[in-house]
Amino acid sequence: MEPIRKDELEAKDCGSQAPKSKPCPRPKPGEAAGGCSFDGAQITLLPIMDAAHLVHGPIACAGNSWESRGTLSSGPSLSQYGFATDLNDNDIIFGGEKKLKDSIDYIAGRFAPPAIFVYSTCVTALIGEDMDAVCKEATGRLGIPVIPVNSPGFVGSKNLGNRLAGEALLQYVIGTGEPEDNIPLGVNLIGEYNIAGEMWDIEKLMNSAGITLMSRITGDARYKEITWAHRAKVNMVVCSRALLGLAKAMESKYHIPYFEGSFYGAKETTYSLRQMAFLMNDREMERRVDRLTEREESRLIQDLRPYRKILKGKRAVLYTGGVKSWSIISALKELGIQVVGVGTNKSTDDDIARIAERVGDDTEFIPEGGASRILKTVRDRKADIMIAGGRNMYVAMKEQIPFVDINQERHRAYAGYEGLLRLAKEMTYSLANPIWKLASSPAPWDKEVPYDR
Amino acid sequence: MTVSKRSKPASVNPLKIGQSLGGVLALQGCYRALPIIHGPQGCSAFPKALLTRHFREPIAVQTSALQEMDVIFDANRNLEEALNTILTKHRPDIIGIIGTELMDVAGVDYQSMLKSYKRERNLRGGLAFSVTLPDFIGSLESGFSGTVEAMVDELIQQAGHRNQRSVNSRQITLLPGSFLTPGDVMEIKEMISAFGFEVITVPDISTSLSGHLLTGFSPLTRGGVPLDSMLQSLQSGLTIAIGGSMERPARRLHNAIGTPYKVFQGAMGLKATDDLLHFLHQISGEPVPLRYCWHRENLLDSMLDAHFQFAGMSVIAALEPDHLYSVSQWLEELGVEQKALITSCETPVVSGMEREVWVGDLDDAEVLGSGADLWISSSHGLAGAERIGAAFMPAGFPVWNELGAYMSTSAGYRGAMDWTNKAGNLLIRREAGRRESSVRHR
Repeated sequence: MEPIRKDELEAKDCGSQAPKSKPCPRPKPGEAAGGCSFDGAQITLLPIMDAAHLVHGPIACAGNSWESRGTLSSGPSLSQYGFATDLNDNDIIFGGEKKLKDSIDYIAGRFAPPAIFVYSTCVTALIGEDMDAVCKEATGRLGIPVIPVNSPGFVGSKNLGNRLAGEALLQYVIGTGEPEDNIPLGVNLIGEYNIAGEMWDIEKLMNSAGITLMSRITGDARYKEITWAHRAKVNMVVCSRALLGLAKAMESKYHIPYFEGSFYGAKETTYSLRQMAFLMNDREMERRVDRLTEREESRLIQDLRPYRKILKGKRAVLYTGGVKSWSIISALKELGIQVVGVGTNKSTDDDIARIAERVGDDTEFIPEGGASRILKTVRDRKADIMIAGGRNMYVAMKEQIPFVDINQERHRAYAGYEGLLRLAKEMTYSLANPIWKLASSPAPWDKEVPYDR
Repeated sequence: MTVSKRSKPASVNPLKIGQSLGGVLALQGCYRALPIIHGPQGCSAFPKALLTRHFREPIAVQTSALQEMDVIFDANRNLEEALNTILTKHRPDIIGIIGTELMDVAGVDYQSMLKSYKRERNLRGGLAFSVTLPDFIGSLESGFSGTVEAMVDELIQQAGHRNQRSVNSRQITLLPGSFLTPGDVMEIKEMISAFGFEVITVPDISTSLSGHLLTGFSPLTRGGVPLDSMLQSLQSGLTIAIGGSMERPARRLHNAIGTPYKVFQGAMGLKATDDLLHFLHQISGEPVPLRYCWHRENLLDSMLDAHFQFAGMSVIAALEPDHLYSVSQWLEELGVEQKALITSCETPVVSGMEREVWVGDLDDAEVLGSGADLWISSSHGLAGAERIGAAFMPAGFPVWNELGAYMSTSAGYRGAMDWTNKAGNLLIRREAGRRESSVRHR
C-alpha cells in the first residue's frame, strides 16, 4: 500500500470548524485540478431552490458556472437563474457597491425571493468592497434576508468554500425561524445536495419509517426550512468533508447530536436509518425502521441477483472526488466488485480510516489527482471499470475503459436501496456494451488477413 | 444599424462567457499546447468543465493556482512554478499564458516576467506567449481572436524578418472564428482545398475537438495544428479569415509580413457560401467542383420545401456577435421574422448590421422574444425558451443537451441545408404538439 502523503495530515482540519492558519494543502501551480472556494460555496447553497443567488464580480464567475450542477428541484427554480452584477472596468475603478445595491433591489422587486445570497469573488474581495455592509443595509430596507457569502475563489479549495457557506448558514440563517406548529420534529440532512434526485429516494425511505425530514441542508431545500434547522432532534452528516463543522457547531450551540452516515449501499442505508431512530430515542420508530430495512434488503437481494452474476469478481478503480469513497466502497462490495484502487485526495483522516477498514491490503491508494495517475492504477491493477467524476469521463473514454459517473453532473441517483440497484444496472450496461469490442478491433483493411473471395 | 441595451443593474441569466475561456478554446486547436490561466484555480476549473461538457473531450488547461497571499505578495512566483512543473513534466510545444481580470486589477506584470523567464532558461524551439483576457470586457469571441492574434505575433517574432520570406501562392492560411464548430472548420478546409490550395488552419479545432480515438493519455492537447505548420503558414500567399473578429490577426499578418487577406463575415447560408466559392474560383482559376453545384441545388430545394414551414414564423437568436451576424443572414434567406437579436458585447460587425441588435442576456431574450416560435441560443436558453413556449434550437456555446453538437455543421451549402431542415423540423414538431393538445382540450 502506498503511504499517504503528509499533505493529507495537514488537510485534516479542512472540514473542521476552526482551521489553523493554513487550512488546506496549497494547490500546486502547474498540476492543480479542481474548483475554488467560490465554487464550493455555490455547491452548498445553490440547492436552496427558492432563493436568489447573486454573484458580485465580473461575468465569468457566474457566466461560466451557472447551470452546471445536477441538483434537482421539485418546484421553485429561482436558484437556477444566473444572477451577476457583471462588473465592467469602470465599476472596478470606482467601486461596485452601488451596482450591488441596485442589483439586490432589482432582484427583490422583480422576483420577490424569500432570501438573496450574495457571493463575493476574487476581484470584489481584492478591491475591498464592503459586501457585508451593503447586505445588512439591504436586509433592513427590503425586509428580506440578504446574506453575504464571503468565499472568494482565491482563499482556497472547494472544500473550504463548502465550510464558509456552512458558516454563512450558521451566522445568518439557522435559528432565525420557527417550524410550523403541525410539523413533528425530526432529522436534518447535512451535505446532501439532491444530485440526480437522490434526496427524494432518501426522503421516501425516511417517510416510510415515519421519520420526519426537518431541514434539507441543502438538497431541494426551501429557505424557510433552514431557518428552523436548530429545532431538529438529530443531524445526519452525509458529506463530512464539506459540512462536518456545521454539525459540530450545531451540537455545541443547540445541543443537537449528530452522526456521519451514508446512503450508498444497502448496509450503510440500513445503518443510517437505524442511527436516526436510535438518536431520536423512539422505540416504536426503531421497530418500524427494522421492519422497513428488512423488507427492503430482502427485496433488493432478489432484484440484484441477475446483475451480481455479471459483476461478481470485477475489479474497479474508484476516484470519487466529492462523494465519500468509503461509502461507495461498501456499495460496490455488496455488488461483489473488488475495489483495486481508490482516490483519497478529498477524504478526511476519519474517511481514510474507514476506507482502510473496508478494502483489502491489495488496494492502491491514490492520494493526488491527475488523470495519468488514475489511468496508471487502472492499467497496473488490471481494472475492468473506472468509477469517477465527469472530469475524468472522457479520459476514460479515450482509453476505452468502461466508466460510471459518480459525481455531481451525473444523471442517475445511486442512494438508498433503489439506488444500489440502479448502480448495479449502470455498471452492467457499461461493462456489457458492444462498443468496447468494436472500438478495439481494427478496420478490415488494417487486418493482415487476405480478402476472402 | 442600432445597438441597444435594456437598462437593468444586474445581469440575469448571462449570455456572456468569459474571455479567458475563448483563449483556452483557441489553444485547443494547436498540437501539444497547454494554456495556463494565471489566476485562482476556479478560473481554469470552470472553463475546463464547461468545454469538456460541450465538446465531450478531455480539455488541456492548467492554472497558476493563486491564493490570496500570492496575489498580495508575488503572483509571478506561482506562474514560474507552474512553468517549471509543466516544462519538466510535459514539454509542450506551445504555452499560452492567459492573464485573468484579477491580474489586471492587482497590476501583475507577467508579460515581462515571461520574457525574462524565456531569456534566462534559454527557451528555444517552442512557442510561449502571454495574452491579457480580463472578463470585464469582451466575451468568448474576443478572447479567442485575441489569443490567435498574440499567437500570430509570437510566430512572426520567432520567424524573423520579412526578406527571408518566400511566398507560396498555392498555400492559404485559414483563420476560423470562434463560432465555427469542428465540423464547420472541416467543411471550410475542404472547400478551400477543393480548389487546389494547401490550407494551414490556425488554430485548427477540427483535428483536435472533433472526436477521435487517439490512445495514450496526455495532459497536452492532442490534435490541432502543429507548430512547424504554423511557422510554415508565414509563407502563405493569402490569409482567409472567417468572422469579423478574426480580421485583427489577419491584419497583423499583413502588416508584419505583407500577406494579403480576405475576411468573410460568415460562411452560412446561400449567399455567404456563394461569395466564398466565387472568390476561391476567381483566385484559383479552377472551376467550382461539381459537388458544390449539387450541394447548392440541394440547399435551394430544401429551402423551397421548407418555406411553407417558415412562413409567418418568428425567431429569436441570442449568440456571440459574429455568430449572430451569420445566423441572421441565413434567417434573412429563409424569410422568417427576426423578432429580436441579442448578443454578448458590441463589435464593429454587429453595429454594422442593418437590424437592431441588443447587447444583453438571456433574460432580455425572454422579454424581447415573447411570442417567438423558434429560439436559437446555447443550452442556457432552454429554460427561457420553455417559459415563452418557443421551440428550442441549441447553437453556439455551450451546448450540452444534444449529442454531437460540436460536429453540427452550418457552414457551406450542406451546413445551411442541415440547419434549414433542423429548424424546420423543430417547427413541424411544435405545430404537431399544439394540434394534439388542442384536440385533447376540446
